Amino acid sequence: MQNIKGPDDLQRNVLDEELCTGCGACTNLCPYIDMVKANAIIIEPCGLSKGRCYNFCPRSYIDVPSLDKSIFGSYREDIAIGSNIYVMKARAKDEEIRSAAQYGGVVSALIIHALQTGKIDAAVLATSSDGVNPKPTIARSKKEVLECVGSKYIVSPTVSKVLDAIKGEMGKIGVVCTPCQMTAIRKMQDSPFETGEEKISLGIGLFCTWCFSPDTYEYIRSLVGSANILKTDIPPPPANIFVIQTDERRVEVPLDEIRKFIMPSCAVCFDMTNEFSDISVGTVEGEEDWNTVIVRTRNGERFLKSAKEAAIIETKPLEKEKFNHLCEASLNRKKRALKEIDGRKITYLTIRDEERSKIISWNGGI
Amino acid sequence: MHVEIDEPGRKVLLMGNEAIARGAIEAGVDFCSGYPGNPASEILETLAGVAKKLDFLTEWSVNEIVALEAAGAAACAGLRAMTVMKNMGVDVCSDFLMTVNMSGTKGGFVLISGDDPAVHSSNSELDTRNYARFADIPLLEPATTQEAKDMTKWAFDLSEELGVLCMVRTVTRLSHSSGLVSLGPITREERSAEFAPLLGTWTSGSGDYTCMFHDALHGKLKTAQEKFEESQFNWYTGKEDAEFIIITSGTGWLYSAEAVKLLGLKDEVGILKLGTTWPLPEKLIAKHLKHAKEVLFVEEIDPFLEQNVKVLAAELAADIGPIKFYGKKSNHIRSEFGAGVGELDVDTVMRGLTETMNVTYIPRDQDYAEKAEKLVGSYAPNRSMAFCAGCPHRASFWAIKRALKWDGRDGIVTGDIGCYSMAQLPTGFMVLKSMHCMGAGIGTATRFGNLKRYGLDKPVIAVSGDSTFYHACIPALINARWNKSNLLYVILDNKTTAMTGNQPHPGIGIDALGEPSPVTPIEDVCKGIGVEVRKCDPFDIDEATQNLYEMLQTEGVKVIIFSRECALTEAQKRKKKPRVYVDQDKCIGDECGCMRFCTRVLNCPGNIWDYTKGKAKIDEVVCNGCGLCAKLCPAGAIIVEEVV
Amino acid sequence: MIGDDPLNIIITGVGGQGNVVASRIIASAAVNEGLYVSVGEIYGASQRGGAVTSYVRLSGEMQYGPIIPRGMAHIIIGFEPIESLRAIGNFGSKKTRAIINPRPIYPVDVLSGTLEYPPVEEVLKAIKELVYGVQVIEATELAKKAGDAVMQNIVMVGCVVGSGLIPIEIETTKEIIKESFAKERVEANLKAFKSGVGEIKGRKAV
Repeated sequence: MQNIKGPDDLQRNVLDEELCTGCGACTNLCPYIDMVKANAIIIEPCGLSKGRCYNFCPRSYIDVPSLDKSIFGSYREDIAIGSNIYVMKARAKDEEIRSAAQYGGVVSALIIHALQTGKIDAAVLATSSDGVNPKPTIARSKKEVLECVGSKYIVSPTVSKVLDAIKGEMGKIGVVCTPCQMTAIRKMQDSPFETGEEKISLGIGLFCTWCFSPDTYEYIRSLVGSANILKTDIPPPPANIFVIQTDERRVEVPLDEIRKFIMPSCAVCFDMTNEFSDISVGTVEGEEDWNTVIVRTRNGERFLKSAKEAAIIETKPLEKEKFNHLCEASLNRKKRALKEIDGRKITYLTIRDEERSKIISWNGGI
Repeated sequence: MHVEIDEPGRKVLLMGNEAIARGAIEAGVDFCSGYPGNPASEILETLAGVAKKLDFLTEWSVNEIVALEAAGAAACAGLRAMTVMKNMGVDVCSDFLMTVNMSGTKGGFVLISGDDPAVHSSNSELDTRNYARFADIPLLEPATTQEAKDMTKWAFDLSEELGVLCMVRTVTRLSHSSGLVSLGPITREERSAEFAPLLGTWTSGSGDYTCMFHDALHGKLKTAQEKFEESQFNWYTGKEDAEFIIITSGTGWLYSAEAVKLLGLKDEVGILKLGTTWPLPEKLIAKHLKHAKEVLFVEEIDPFLEQNVKVLAAELAADIGPIKFYGKKSNHIRSEFGAGVGELDVDTVMRGLTETMNVTYIPRDQDYAEKAEKLVGSYAPNRSMAFCAGCPHRASFWAIKRALKWDGRDGIVTGDIGCYSMAQLPTGFMVLKSMHCMGAGIGTATRFGNLKRYGLDKPVIAVSGDSTFYHACIPALINARWNKSNLLYVILDNKTTAMTGNQPHPGIGIDALGEPSPVTPIEDVCKGIGVEVRKCDPFDIDEATQNLYEMLQTEGVKVIIFSRECALTEAQKRKKKPRVYVDQDKCIGDECGCMRFCTRVLNCPGNIWDYTKGKAKIDEVVCNGCGLCAKLCPAGAIIVEEVV
Repeated sequence: MIGDDPLNIIITGVGGQGNVVASRIIASAAVNEGLYVSVGEIYGASQRGGAVTSYVRLSGEMQYGPIIPRGMAHIIIGFEPIESLRAIGNFGSKKTRAIINPRPIYPVDVLSGTLEYPPVEEVLKAIKELVYGVQVIEATELAKKAGDAVMQNIVMVGCVVGSGLIPIEIETTKEIIKESFAKERVEANLKAFKSGVGEIKGRKAV
């Protein structure tokens, strides 16, 4: 409880430091905080010294050992990708899903399965009416889920929608979100405040290296004009490009060109593989129609098993080399984040000392 | 209505403003114009209420200069015409005033000016008597409701006789006080209007002609002065050769008389009460200065009599000998704020007398006074002004506050005069950062929004009301566009002139009589000027905020109209107000997620806080049923039920 | 009846409570009783949650000014507890009699939490320390019974007229009430007035 502070601290420690991830965990709780262009804005201080805004925020503090303990029952053994039961490749069996999806369609397939089996009553996902600008939405059917397929690289306040869903009539809720958003949800579940967080029954986490700020939209528009954007994509390494596919043409932008739009808060992010999810899903190096899947919790494991038994997804082992590359990428991210955190004297992240020294001294290779 | 009783000699209770209206009726007024403004608003309202029956004309004008011009025209055409306005209205009409004084009048032409000592409902303690001296026009100052009627009536005669407009100065305390008035006969003389100025042209001339007219005006003033020497509105009471006299005018007279009585100084102090205060009745004053060795001036706001009488005394020094003068200059007549500031009362005059004469007066014994002060200090918390329950401005300023926070550039909000001026206070979240005269919000915003060259680069929002828009904002809006300013102009359109008691304006479709009249939509005017215009209901608070925010992101001059009827006029129209209550189970109270938002921040007087339960409540007597709090309650705990 | 001349009455409350109507009724009734009457009113703040104070001065001899000197109020009719105390603080004395509706109307400063509203009993106790006597009248409740809480002002007028403290007859006041309201509102207002009269008649004079 000593970590729980209020909106003044949120302002000082997070917002003033440009650490807001735009996740939306502090909005939709009260009338004092609004989310504008992926930045939380405190309209008026509520005057309380302890509040959910600070408590849920993924950049106010993350006590990794304590979260690990409450989610997984024990502290992580794998310092590269966090607690996990197993890692594999998977893809949706449903052709319809796969053809719609950006990669293996695992996320969509699992969510549809969860809805159809009653594992959840509703899922909070990111959708986009124009292929670029995402906004969170609540899906209750296969049709609604399929409207949300495709990667979004601009941040959207998914957690605020989760809070909306909790307030609504829905019983059990599933979420698909980025690591910072998942962290907020886990902090909510771990919090002494009662927000209705017990409704969240399934957390599917997306791998994430960084997100773009909402200003990116203007930039993309400046590149493609008013053309209808079908999808955007960052193909797996070593492509190193950002792709905008319109119904007229394909525009490729060097990644370095668009990096300036990365959310400042991503620089301190320690978590690429969504370490607090039930199941994490990402791309597979060099394979466009498969996903990497990390099963982390028993809840995730049971659910994935049922999906496999129902022939919703098919799986394959992930090649050792590819697994190593994934771990290296993740460690790289952690090392960079720690350097940034230490350099800026930001104190939000608590990890074990031995883990810290291992990461700091890591020099490539697994 | 008492004002229309046609029983000469009957005594009725009239408010000062009604008495002025009655005076105009007894004078056979043919036309009255004005712009609403406290403390003068009820004069025209009263006249409009009987105008049809008595068959004369009235108009609410869009501003005071138009009002004075309209009345000037009617008077020029030979009719009896009057214009009513508050103190600052005289500033607005002064341009015409300073020329129509010279071009003269045929019919009786009377300007009623309502000053507001202590600023009960204003933002200036302007003493408009200075305008009478400035403009060389006769000035009358009623002391009682009876005089308010009688002087107004006489002002028409005087104006006609002299051929110049006359000014009657009232103050809030007289305008809004009631007293017994002995009625005179109602006369309805049938006059016909014609455009036939005495010199063929109705003009203040130019060059030598202006100088000639100006000189003629001085001649008229001389005649006025002669008449004033004999006026029944000036008198002296007390010992004939008193060495200590009070010279007073207006409400100061009654306070002086009561103070002298309470202090038991009737046999020592004489009171020279003046009703005609410009030009001064010099002979009458000289007569009493002759026996006085000490003079105390008692008058509202400026030391107007004080200075003018001192000049006269200097001229007469050889005859009258040395006199000690007390008043505002000497700091003997002062309010809690100082001399020449605030309002007079009996206690102020008594203090002036005790400090200048060898008398003591203790209103209450020291112990009692101290105890009273202590108890009030401990048990009577201050009561600030606030937007009414249900007021749309509360929503508008919450939206503005949010949009500025969203924008994040620390934008500036300028404003002017109206209920919305209270947005300087916590009731409007202290959003408003400037207030001066009508129209000054958009006028000043024009340059605040165009000072990038010198490093001021912040978004600027100007606010004004709807009535203020017509009154004074249109030229500024055109200027802003012409001079390429960057500003967002928010027009708080509550379909009325709310601050002054809900008078109509050109956007509503009714006139002073309440009869249908053509509408001039604000939106059309702005579009005609060529600026981007959006319109929304401030109670749709997210939409309102979003619109403001979007418009702040673009350059140029933009207008947003927040359209929602004033809670007071809206409540008058509907039959039943909805029942609003708080679901005690849902109310979060002072915990995270709300922290008493409805009472602590939204601060509507209809939302109260039950300290024993730690939950919100609705004060059903105060609540107007608007439902804004229900929209903003994060827990959905406030329920609005339509009552059938 | 109090024999003072002028008889100084203060009606105090908050904007929207019907001060002006109440002072007008008392003043008009006094006119019909053949008295000199002056009423001082400031209502710029009347609709805006501010305090509103009316001065009513009755005299058999002459027309007085509209403002009551400090410490010279004989009767204070308070529609709201803290406003009553404030008025007594300025205009009261050990001779003052007060008739008070104890129902608070909270200032916005209190609602916002900036200031605290003391318990009503403590306010009434403070008032009692400063005046000759106090009658506490649940006027809002009586007005509700008569049909509408807003008529508390008329209940209070009923109390002051019924108390016999002022030289105004009940019947005279009733006539004025009949003239003062739209036809459909007259009956309810008379009912409110009568309930005020009845309430005070049942009490021991203070």
